[in-house]
Amino acid sequence: MTTDHRNQIAHLARRAGFGATPQELDAYEAIGYEALVEQFLNPTSPGNIPDDLIFRRHVDLHAMQGHNAAYWAYRLISTQCPLEEKIALFWHGVFATGENKLNNLGSLTNQIDTFRRCGMGRFDDILVELSRDPAMIIWLDNHTNHKDSINENYGREILELFSMGVGNYTEDDIKECARAFTGWSVKNGEYMAMMAMKDSIWPYGRIFWHHEYRDDDHDTGEKQFLGQAGPFGGHEVIEIICRQEATARFVARHLYNFFVADEVPVPQWSDTPPRDPDAIDQLAAAYFESDHDIRSVLRVLFNSDFFKQSRFTRVKSPTEVVIGTLRRTGEYQVPDAAEIGIFNIMEETGFMGQKLLDPPSVEGWHTGEEWITSGSLVDRVNFAAQRMSDASNPGISDMVERVTGTVQTDSDPDALVDAAIDVMGPMDVDSDTRALLVELAVAGTREGVTQELVLDLFKLIASSREYQLC
Amino acid sequence: MVPNHTFTGYNPTKVQRKIGKHTMQYLKTIGFNSNQPIGRGFNYPYDTAFSADGRIFVMNRMGGLNPRGIRIQICTFDEDWLGEFSTGPGDGDDQFRVPVCMAFDAHDNLYVTDEALNEVKVFDSQGNFLRKWGTDIDSYGSLAGPAGVAHGADGSVFVVEQYANRVHKLTPDGESIATWGESGDGPGQFNLPWGATVDANGDLYIADWRNDRIQKFTPDGELIAAYGGPGDRNGEFHRPSSVAVTRDGLICVADWGNERVQVLDSDGQFQQMLTGEATLSKWAEEWLDVNQDELGARNRSDLAVKDLPRHLQTPFHTASQTEPIFWGPVSVTLDAEDRLYITEHSRHRIQIYEG
Repeated sequence: MTTDHRNQIAHLARRAGFGATPQELDAYEAIGYEALVEQFLNPTSPGNIPDDLIFRRHVDLHAMQGHNAAYWAYRLISTQCPLEEKIALFWHGVFATGENKLNNLGSLTNQIDTFRRCGMGRFDDILVELSRDPAMIIWLDNHTNHKDSINENYGREILELFSMGVGNYTEDDIKECARAFTGWSVKNGEYMAMMAMKDSIWPYGRIFWHHEYRDDDHDTGEKQFLGQAGPFGGHEVIEIICRQEATARFVARHLYNFFVADEVPVPQWSDTPPRDPDAIDQLAAAYFESDHDIRSVLRVLFNSDFFKQSRFTRVKSPTEVVIGTLRRTGEYQVPDAAEIGIFNIMEETGFMGQKLLDPPSVEGWHTGEEWITSGSLVDRVNFAAQRMSDASNPGISDMVERVTGTVQTDSDPDALVDAAIDVMGPMDVDSDTRALLVELAVAGTREGVTQELVLDLFKLIASSREYQLC
Repeated sequence: MVPNHTFTGYNPTKVQRKIGKHTMQYLKTIGFNSNQPIGRGFNYPYDTAFSADGRIFVMNRMGGLNPRGIRIQICTFDEDWLGEFSTGPGDGDDQFRVPVCMAFDAHDNLYVTDEALNEVKVFDSQGNFLRKWGTDIDSYGSLAGPAGVAHGADGSVFVVEQYANRVHKLTPDGESIATWGESGDGPGQFNLPWGATVDANGDLYIADWRNDRIQKFTPDGELIAAYGGPGDRNGEFHRPSSVAVTRDGLICVADWGNERVQVLDSDGQFQQMLTGEATLSKWAEEWLDVNQDELGARNRSDLAVKDLPRHLQTPFHTASQTEPIFWGPVSVTLDAEDRLYITEHSRHRIQIYEG
């Protein structure tokens, strides 16, 4: 029977990462829960598949003119610092920036790397990096935000979707915010934006972008912003934003939704209270006590009772379904030029409703039960069930050996089901699911505990309602 | 992006560009990007070779979910586009899945390696398929990821087997003569070797990719010398992919991971650093002529990057943001006049230098 400690460790691994193999769980258990939280919060050496091998095998990923979700996928399935990737995925959902407008995957991939690099730092710093991120600048048109003719698109979204939420600022604040960000542009902005708009690869492929601050195009005048006055620039505006109670609660609710339990979509936050107001209070307090440090907020979150009691209350995102499954099966650990399966697989997340690097809008993806449609559910179940029952996958053959090695051939079906659930998670399954699994085990164990029987159990578990949750 | 080793403050304008007496000068750029799987324009060009009459053969590798542009194109130094063959991916005799390298032999036949099919395919200089071999070689069975290919003075064929970490010497019909090398970083060992060339004396050079060095052998596999080592200083390499040797014995190395080309003397001493200085090719000019809006915006831009944020100061980031310099310099080859052709897979063009 799985211990409660192992269950908690597995829960942490699912939420702070993409789950853990039985071998990884053994190692994590030895580290201990609180120490493991610290290990996740302080990534050192990710040990992921190196770029040189990826680029030698997949030249289009080097040029970043192909399907760069596959490039990210190599990282997601092989990193030993899963929270570094998970936090990048988190911010990718909050600060949703899409390839469909940019036509510049390299700059978008660099944005993801910024989230990886800064995503657990001070929120002020994250917003500064975001505001000078060239993909974001082109995405929200800040290269056309001039001192004599403002474009308020970025000024609006940094308040509405990136920090405070609707109802906590005025239309005048938006305009003043936009004035503060005039001059925050990209190098060769006119040409780069034109190439993006025309999806131009000519003459010599994509040119990635970098930030350029144009002092001559910055509005240095006095501004009135959120009740304060001054000749604010972008940095000062961000400092004011980050001091707001609304910002602390907005960030806390996003973190809660991503790491703890499903919330309603962001547009409903202004008139729908949080699912767990006490949890939001705790996270908001941690935000201020730590001077807006996301790592500190996450430390409080992962060590809280509300987190530990939230097992299997979130619907997995498509990326969590796919990457969690692949990390368990052990596939695609060595890039192969003749094998493009990982490209197709990352198209699968799109069929399931989450095409990485291409969110549906600046609002990002709606999460929770909205991930589930009749079509996406079939894709999710088929994907997991097929891969988790394929013994040619190295991770699956290891799991089969774990089960057959720990369960006697004449074991009772309950013990076999326990063993299968343990290596597949461990998972919490309800009585109906368990009854079906035992029924299969009873029928199968008449001929002993065979590989085929264990694989059938894996397939059934991967098809269960519970496998869609984390 | 995570570089495989740490670069500090990389700036191609500040590297030591030349210390030796030999100098190569930039001449011109050929090619441009195409989004079409047929016709003029390159799609991830990966290698270049020259027929006896001076025509330029350019291999297009493609990749991922869009392999349709795999093909070998033919053009001239003056950028006249002459045609193409082996179009599209496939298992047919004249088709490729994942082509890697190619080289003409003394009889004007073109040998092309395919790391997915594990074959070497041979064409005449008109692009007609002649034969293929590689999947049933004596006791060796199949070639293991054939990459570099070069022709010995006696007509033998050297094929780099990247996955077996060895060099295979064969007859032109694919019969095994000898092999040498194994996995490792010691003398004569390899770590995912890639390109190959033979110099005027008949000696063989191998780009020992993941050992960050060039190894030189006699035609019988006796190690003569090794040049380079890991790093980004002069004479050091990061994942060299290709090597060519001029008539004067200069060793030109595609220092792929450092996004540059280095020229060494015949003793392996550093002579010159090339970082690229592309200008508009004829095809690029013709395209911009009919896209005046982009030409205008381009002319109002400064495409030479001066200062990147510190976290972007790596060869990859600098190259990806600076159009004129090398980005993915995967292949170095020499034409009959000893002009150096540097093929850039991620800029879809060839920069040409002359000595």
